[in-house]
Amino acid sequence: MYQAATLSNPNSRLQAFLHNRQESSSSPMPRFTLVVVLFMLAFTAIGFRLFWVMVLSHNPNNAQNKSIYSMLERADILDRNGDVLATNLITFSLYARPNQLIDSEKAAEKLSKLFPDLNKQVLQKKLSSRKPFVWLKRNLTPRQQERINALGLVGVHFQKEQKRIYPHEKLMAHVVGYTDVDGKGLSGIERKFQGTLQEKKEPLRLSLDLRVQHIVRDALVRGMQEFRAKKASGMVMDVNTGEMIAMVSLPDFDPHKPSSGEAIFNTNTLGVYEMGSIFKIFTFAMALDSKKVTLDQGFDASQPLTFGKFKIKDYRPKNRWLSVPEVFMYSSNIGTVKMAMKVGTEGQKNFFEKIGFLQPLKTEIGENGVPMAPREWHDINTATISYGYGMAVSPLQVINGVAAMVNGGILRSPTLLLDNNNDREGKRVISAATSEKLRRLLHLTVLHGSGTKGNAPGYLVGGKTGSANKKDDHSNNYVAKDKHRAIFVAAFPMHDPKYITFVMLDEPHGTSQTQGFSTGGWTSGPITKEIIEKAAPLLGVLPVDESSPKIQAAMRLNISPEGSAHALR
Amino acid sequence: MIRYGDYLTPTERLRALNRPLIGLIFTLAVIGFVVLYSAAGGAFFPWALPQMVRFFIGFGLMIGIAVMDLQWWFKWAYVFYFVSFILLVLVAVMGKVGMGAQRWLDLYIFKLQPSELVKISLVLALAAYFHRLNTDDIYKPHHLIIPLLLIMAPAVLVMKQPDLGTMLLLVMIGFSMLLMAGVRLYYFVGTAIATLAAVPIVWNVLLKDYQKNRVLTFLDPMTDPQGSGYHILQSKIAIGSGGFFGKGYFHGTQGYLNFLPEKQTDFIFTLFCEEFGFIGAVLLIFLYVCLLMQAFKIVLKNRSKFGQLLSFGIMMTLFIYLGINMGMVMGLVPVVGVPLPMISYGGTSMLTLMMGFGILLNADVNNRTKVSKY
Repeated sequence: MYQAATLSNPNSRLQAFLHNRQESSSSPMPRFTLVVVLFMLAFTAIGFRLFWVMVLSHNPNNAQNKSIYSMLERADILDRNGDVLATNLITFSLYARPNQLIDSEKAAEKLSKLFPDLNKQVLQKKLSSRKPFVWLKRNLTPRQQERINALGLVGVHFQKEQKRIYPHEKLMAHVVGYTDVDGKGLSGIERKFQGTLQEKKEPLRLSLDLRVQHIVRDALVRGMQEFRAKKASGMVMDVNTGEMIAMVSLPDFDPHKPSSGEAIFNTNTLGVYEMGSIFKIFTFAMALDSKKVTLDQGFDASQPLTFGKFKIKDYRPKNRWLSVPEVFMYSSNIGTVKMAMKVGTEGQKNFFEKIGFLQPLKTEIGENGVPMAPREWHDINTATISYGYGMAVSPLQVINGVAAMVNGGILRSPTLLLDNNNDREGKRVISAATSEKLRRLLHLTVLHGSGTKGNAPGYLVGGKTGSANKKDDHSNNYVAKDKHRAIFVAAFPMHDPKYITFVMLDEPHGTSQTQGFSTGGWTSGPITKEIIEKAAPLLGVLPVDESSPKIQAAMRLNISPEGSAHALR
Repeated sequence: MIRYGDYLTPTERLRALNRPLIGLIFTLAVIGFVVLYSAAGGAFFPWALPQMVRFFIGFGLMIGIAVMDLQWWFKWAYVFYFVSFILLVLVAVMGKVGMGAQRWLDLYIFKLQPSELVKISLVLALAAYFHRLNTDDIYKPHHLIIPLLLIMAPAVLVMKQPDLGTMLLLVMIGFSMLLMAGVRLYYFVGTAIATLAAVPIVWNVLLKDYQKNRVLTFLDPMTDPQGSGYHILQSKIAIGSGGFFGKGYFHGTQGYLNFLPEKQTDFIFTLFCEEFGFIGAVLLIFLYVCLLMQAFKIVLKNRSKFGQLLSFGIMMTLFIYLGINMGMVMGLVPVVGVPLPMISYGGTSMLTLMMGFGILLNADVNNRTKVSKY
């Protein structure tokens, strides 16, 4: 009975299958049809793709066809003036086809005599392996090649290769990066531009200036020695284009034989640190831009502030009422916190979001640190972040952020490529008027405040010092006071900023010349001064007469308490 | 004339084996040897000869499996599943770390990759489960608990290895079998919607930043040009350089210079395309399509639910392998360690495939056999 119904009605055939009748018929079921359609779609996609990749994109003359050779011919990397930072040298490498060898033992012996650095046992093992292809020695000198030829071995061959050469060795190592023996970029520009460097034959132009890079590295090396610091980093940036002119991270490494240790770490882009008082620049920008604080206001800084069990004090307390410019130039934590509180938690969070401090930067190198910010933002966070604790960003973010504060208020993405910033327009983050005020404050700090050691007379320098206490890696508590990062950010010339510098020393120690002080002003300050004095002429920034009425007017700032008419300049 | 319910002796089965299918398998294997010979720069070692040995062992295994009783496979399906699952657990506990992930079990004679075996045993176990399930029970949600466990238990273990690719394969094979078994369609729609809805929650709340990066790199290998993106780049260059007619046998570059570290396994299709061109690739795909067509026929002809689901599962496995491997080397899907069936070098995957084909042949020759539920 049942069976008859099953066979006559197609619908019940389906039912039969779905209901696990053993006698299910062979007619196609809808679900199976679904699967068949899926199959057809998949194979159609693969077929089209195959046609696209193999027939349409195929051009016997393009670089793709020469896959192995394009691997070797890597474009040069140049600095902004056309000086070569990375290039290739043609060499020959030795390989063997073990199955072609007549006597592998003899060959191993002969070769190991020629190359004392090749172990005979290892060679023997390689030559008697079952692999069809083994490298024996990469990048031979012409003399070595001649000697191998003279051995008359069967089964060993040469492969033309190009070795990557970095004429300035350590100088640009962190930015340019390095390649492995196959010419594959492993870090920095070499890695991020792997494809471009292989496909395009014209050189890649970086925004870096070899000469300025040299000046910065020189000054940092000396400063690191003088103050017995563990690490040092320094940068110079064009404030109006976002182009990096110099980027140095010490200790550095030789890209021809990269070590695997700490030296490879690019502190400028990959490291994230609490920046201490440097952050006051942002707090002031935020407060002044919100118009909730004006330059002729003032705050009582005579008493430490308490947040629960947390006490906020000044490093060099003045114990009195301070005008807003004084809060900045004396770097008063108490005054700064009070200003931040006027703007509030939400305002602060939005400000840092706006200037990109809550996200990692996107740069032309892959090594970008992820900033650290509070998960939940309470009043205490607002207070500590206002003077640079409880939030960590990369030095590149700081220099880029400060550039926007002084260049008239435009934030751009930093770039390492010449004339190629795809964020040239940038976006406005503070008003031009606020930026103008910050310039005056920064100049004042260098003239009369904590940053006098960084002043390079004639270049109208403006800057801010910072000395950030370091946290213990294990306990997450702040360690003894002598372990800190000393930072100095400076821009010049302040009436029309062109360049900005960043110098950071890790755990500097005071010397007799600094009266034992190791804070940012005393250690990173002089290094900054040296960099500006040497680099400014090369960068085409001419000294100005700082006492001229025009400059005086541009930098005028009323600092005396309670807004009296007394002006310091 | 064999009628429904007739019992065949092993000799009768041997005579009734699906010859076109065996022919296709043989042809593909020979193509594999030819390509591996070229991959080694024109040598039987280290790949072509071991592959031949494995193929012939696998061939014997396949015929052996094919002539067995389908009822026997039904009876032992769970045991087989359990054993391969235990092997998977063993890998997690004491496996060898190969290629940065724990996937191998050193058996001294050869290295066993249990995650490959699990694919077959999962198909067996699911087919057995749904065969035994009563007609209407499939609509009751609580009967889906066991099959879901059967799928998820090995999937989770494989994911721990870590092998995200195989995990996805297992889930795909398992779910396609649930679909074919007749589980209500709206469960799938519901699962799909729930998964999509859960993505933002998992992404924003549960995953840590480094985990997100891993997923992102998986989805877009170009963000990690040092790692898998490099493979794809090289692979596409090599495929593209083949052109319409290819460069000719032994004239590929990948065999001579080691730009593709895994050229003999997952990226073998690249080498094939470079040497034999578009024409060769189309022919190879045509052979695979023929193979799948044979599998289609076997699924449709089968009278028992067990045989039907079993052959369907094997067919799906084959199809997913093909689609993912070819898609991967051409940059259509992310890089997943999936071999190209019959061509890629690899011991366990060859043996697993031959077992799978054995089961397929078995289901074919027994397509009128009644499989008792007990």
